[in-house]
Amino acid sequence: MTRKREVEVTVDVPQTVTTALADQPVEGRVCLEAGAGVGNTTAGLLAAGAARVYAVTNDADHAELVRERVVRGESDRAAVLEADLRELPLATGSVELVTAHGLFNVVDPAALDAICAELARVAAPDCSLVVDDYEPLPEGAKMRDLFALENAASELARSRAALTFYPATTLRRLFTGWGWEFEREVTLLDPVPWTASHVDAHANVVRSLASALPAELSTPLTAEADRLVGDIGSESVGEMYSIAFRSRE
Amino acid sequence: MQTRALGETGHDSTIMTFGAIALNWLEQEGANQMVELVLDHGINHFDVAPTYGDAELKLGPKLRQHREEVFLGCKTQEREAEGARRKLEQSLNRLGVDHIDLYQVHGLEYEHELDTITGDGGALDAFREAKDEGLVNHIGLTSHGNPQLILDAIDRIDDLETLMFPMNPVVVGKDDDDHDYQAVLERAEEEGIGTLGIKAFAKGPWPSTEELAEEDRPYANWYRPVDSPDEIRERFDFAASQGLTSVINPGDPKLVAMVLDAAERYDGMDDAAQRSLVEKLRHDESPVPEQLHH
Repeated sequence: MTRKREVEVTVDVPQTVTTALADQPVEGRVCLEAGAGVGNTTAGLLAAGAARVYAVTNDADHAELVRERVVRGESDRAAVLEADLRELPLATGSVELVTAHGLFNVVDPAALDAICAELARVAAPDCSLVVDDYEPLPEGAKMRDLFALENAASELARSRAALTFYPATTLRRLFTGWGWEFEREVTLLDPVPWTASHVDAHANVVRSLASALPAELSTPLTAEADRLVGDIGSESVGEMYSIAFRSRE
Repeated sequence: MQTRALGETGHDSTIMTFGAIALNWLEQEGANQMVELVLDHGINHFDVAPTYGDAELKLGPKLRQHREEVFLGCKTQEREAEGARRKLEQSLNRLGVDHIDLYQVHGLEYEHELDTITGDGGALDAFREAKDEGLVNHIGLTSHGNPQLILDAIDRIDDLETLMFPMNPVVVGKDDDDHDYQAVLERAEEEGIGTLGIKAFAKGPWPSTEELAEEDRPYANWYRPVDSPDEIRERFDFAASQGLTSVINPGDPKLVAMVLDAAERYDGMDDAAQRSLVEKLRHDESPVPEQLHH
């Protein structure tokens, strides 16, 4: 007897995503994934029965990847929007659930207010908001050195930080100030596993940023990136949190 | 060491079960010491099979000396009654004992095997007869196979008392039905079936034999195991915190002492730490480019 198997989307939704969404009203809702990355949260929202998911990213490679990985089999329910989060191509009051899974660590502090204003605009009454991100790494964490190097290279090359780790309390106060009512906080990961592939990816960002700089800067930055890759290997340290809010009427 | 009720068998198993396949790679004197070691750590549940080389024979002497302290699991790959009976008698002989506490269908892989086992003249006929005769106390089943098949087995074998199946952070991180051993665990809990976890310490497959000849592998396991104390401990903690009754050591004797230590120190693992381990392994295998995408 042969067992029939259904063809399914091959994306395994990370447990961080399923845990963050577990107590959220996803089913039948219009959702916005702010900062779609590789589309993991879009996949999680679709799996949890979202009526529609807008996966927003300003990164063309990510947009293509999310289309390929997640949206292709679900084109009636999901769409990738290549857009700036400060200027969403969505109607006022049209979104019932917003997720920002690992978004804010790549948001420059100067852009926070504009993004919060835009999220508040598109949110329907009784909209849910789920913000998942990383606490600042503790002193002594080797990954901190790599992130510091990435920020140094980014400041030199683009005059802004690459990564900012906002404590949960900070984002909680920020969103409360924008009219969201705090619901709950959950620890998603403790410790956070920074694997060899994460270390490589961040070292590659340093190398790429350094390549645009004069040799007297790029040479030591690249050398330090190489050294840190060997020194860190992989490291489990830090905490990833999830905070959830509801929009006030 | 903590114990947990093995389903409704009435036995409380230690949270580590001694996988006696480890004895196969030891000389008799070393095997005797290994059994004394695991008993010193309080282990009260052993598992063996006739397919594990000489493991039954090497377990025999110390098992007979300590028979009362050990809840003994054994198993057979025979799918029909006659063969199963023959293997049971052979195991009793080789072990030198008069009964086996838990006799298990070994390595169920295909639906047609389940048909054979449960059909007229199937292995379960022999299991039940042996149970009536007092040669066997409880009936179980083991499988590395499809979780749906194991769920079918639960439906089709009313007197099933234990299940042995894979449980580790890699399978927990996969959403598809082929890896849904959590569904098996949940169902077993509902049905009062004891659960024994295997492959808890699997790190990945061995390189191809062209890259690394079989005789050059550093461990006797079917797959590459984790082998540092910290990794062994986090893998044990993970498996035990999923709710299994007991976790079985990897087959290589060099790893057993580390697992004993982990089992002795087990004090739960919180959800965020469990997810951390699932994420770590998910990323090890991840084909997608990534930066911070946990």
